Amino acid sequence: MKIRAFSKTYNGKTVLKTEDMFFGKGKIYAVIGANGSGKSTFAKIISAIEKADDGRSVTDGESIGYMSQKSFPFRMSVKENVMLKVKDETLADTLMEWLEIKHLSEHNAKGLSGGETARMALARILMEKYDMVIFDEPCASMDMKSTLLSEEIIRDYCGDKECVVILITHSLSQAKRVADEIIFINEGRIVEQGETQKILENPEKEETREFIRFYGI
Amino acid sequence: MQTAFMKAISLIMTADASLIDILITTAKTSITSSLIALIIGVPLGILLGAGAFKGRGILVMLNRTLMGMPPVVCGLLFYMLFSGVGPFRHLRLLFTVEVMILAQTVLITPIVAGNMESFVSGISELIKETAKGLGLGRIKTFYLIMNESVYQIFSAYLLAFARAIAEVGAVSMVGGAIAWKTNVMTTAIMQYTNMGDFALGIALGIILMAISLLVNIVLYVLQRRLSR
Repeated sequence: MKIRAFSKTYNGKTVLKTEDMFFGKGKIYAVIGANGSGKSTFAKIISAIEKADDGRSVTDGESIGYMSQKSFPFRMSVKENVMLKVKDETLADTLMEWLEIKHLSEHNAKGLSGGETARMALARILMEKYDMVIFDEPCASMDMKSTLLSEEIIRDYCGDKECVVILITHSLSQAKRVADEIIFINEGRIVEQGETQKILENPEKEETREFIRFYGI
Repeated sequence: MQTAFMKAISLIMTADASLIDILITTAKTSITSSLIALIIGVPLGILLGAGAFKGRGILVMLNRTLMGMPPVVCGLLFYMLFSGVGPFRHLRLLFTVEVMILAQTVLITPIVAGNMESFVSGISELIKETAKGLGLGRIKTFYLIMNESVYQIFSAYLLAFARAIAEVGAVSMVGGAIAWKTNVMTTAIMQYTNMGDFALGIALGIILMAISLLVNIVLYVLQRRLSR
C-alpha cells in the first residue's frame, strides 16, 4: 500500500514533510517519536481526518480506520457503541469478551473508566475490515494487563484481516513487543524506517540512537 | 393592595374567562414560536458549532449579536414589514397572533442556535474525529452530535420559551395588545396596570413567576445531568 509524499503546514510552519512510503499487508508499523514530533499529524493525514497541504488524499482510495487517542464514548450502551458501524452482534460479543468488557455491554458508555473506554473504542474499530488501521496511542489510558491483551488482539486482527496496522506510540517497549517495523519521526521528518530489531539495536542515524538512548526500552 | 392580591387569587381559583383567554393566547404564541425556533435553531446551531466552512466565524458573531437584539427593534422591524406601508401589507397580519409568533421566532431562534453552537463546538471535534475514523457518513455524524446534545436541546428550548413568554416589546408592537385577540400575559399586565386594575395584573404576574420557577427547576435538573 502506497502513501504518497505530503507535507503539513500550520500557521506558516511546516510541521511534517514525508516522502512516498510503502506498507506491506499483514504487517504492523510502530511510529515512534517524541511529543510534538508529528506522529499524530502523520496519523491524521493518512486517515484523512486532516488534509495535507495540497488538499489531496495521500492514498489510492483504500479503506482506512483510525482510532484516536481520545476515544469518544457516545451516549448509548457499550454494545451500541461497538456496533456503531457494523451491526454484527456475534462479532461485537466476541470482541467485547476478548477485551474483557462484555459484562459492561448494557452499561451507558459515558460511565466507563478511561481504560474501559479505550477497550470499547478498540472493539469498535476492530468490528470493520479495513485495508489499513491507524491506532493513535490506543493503550495510553490502559493498565499493563489491558495493554498486553489489546496488543495481542491488534496482532491477531492484523494477521487475520491481512491489513496494514500503524501504531502510534511513544513506548519503545510496546513497539518492540508488537511491531514488525519502526518508523522514527523527529521534528516533522521521517528520520529512519526499518525492521524493529535493527532500529532498536543498531539504528543508522545518530538522531535515532539518541532517541532510543534517552527513552530506553 | 391586600384586596387586589386577594382578588387576584380569586381570579386564578375561579378560572376567570379573560384570564384564561390571555393564558391561551400566551401559550399559543410562546409554545409555537419556541417550537419553530427549536426546529430552525438546533440544526443551525449544530452547523455553526460543528461546521468547517468559510464565513463560519462571521455567522457565529452575527448570531451572537442577534441574541441580544432588543425586542422593540424586532417589533419595529415586523411593524414596518406588515403595516400599511410595508411590503407585506397585503397579508393583513399586523395585530394578529400569527405575526406575534413570527416576531418572537426571529427574536428567540438566535438564542437556541447560540446555545447549541456553544455546546456543540466543545464536543464536535472529538465526535467528528471518532466518526470519521470509523468511516461514518455526515448524516450519521449529525445524528451522533444530536444524540449527544439531547439535554442541551431541552435546555435551549426552555430558555427560548422563557424568553418568549416574558417578552413584551415585540408582541405589544405587532400584536397591539387587543383584548380577546392578541393580548398576552406581559402586555395584559401593562395594560391592566395602566387602567388601574391591579388584580388581573397580579394574577398574571403570579402565573408568570410560577412558570418561570418551573422552567428554572427543569433547567437546573437538566444542567445537573449535563455536567455529569
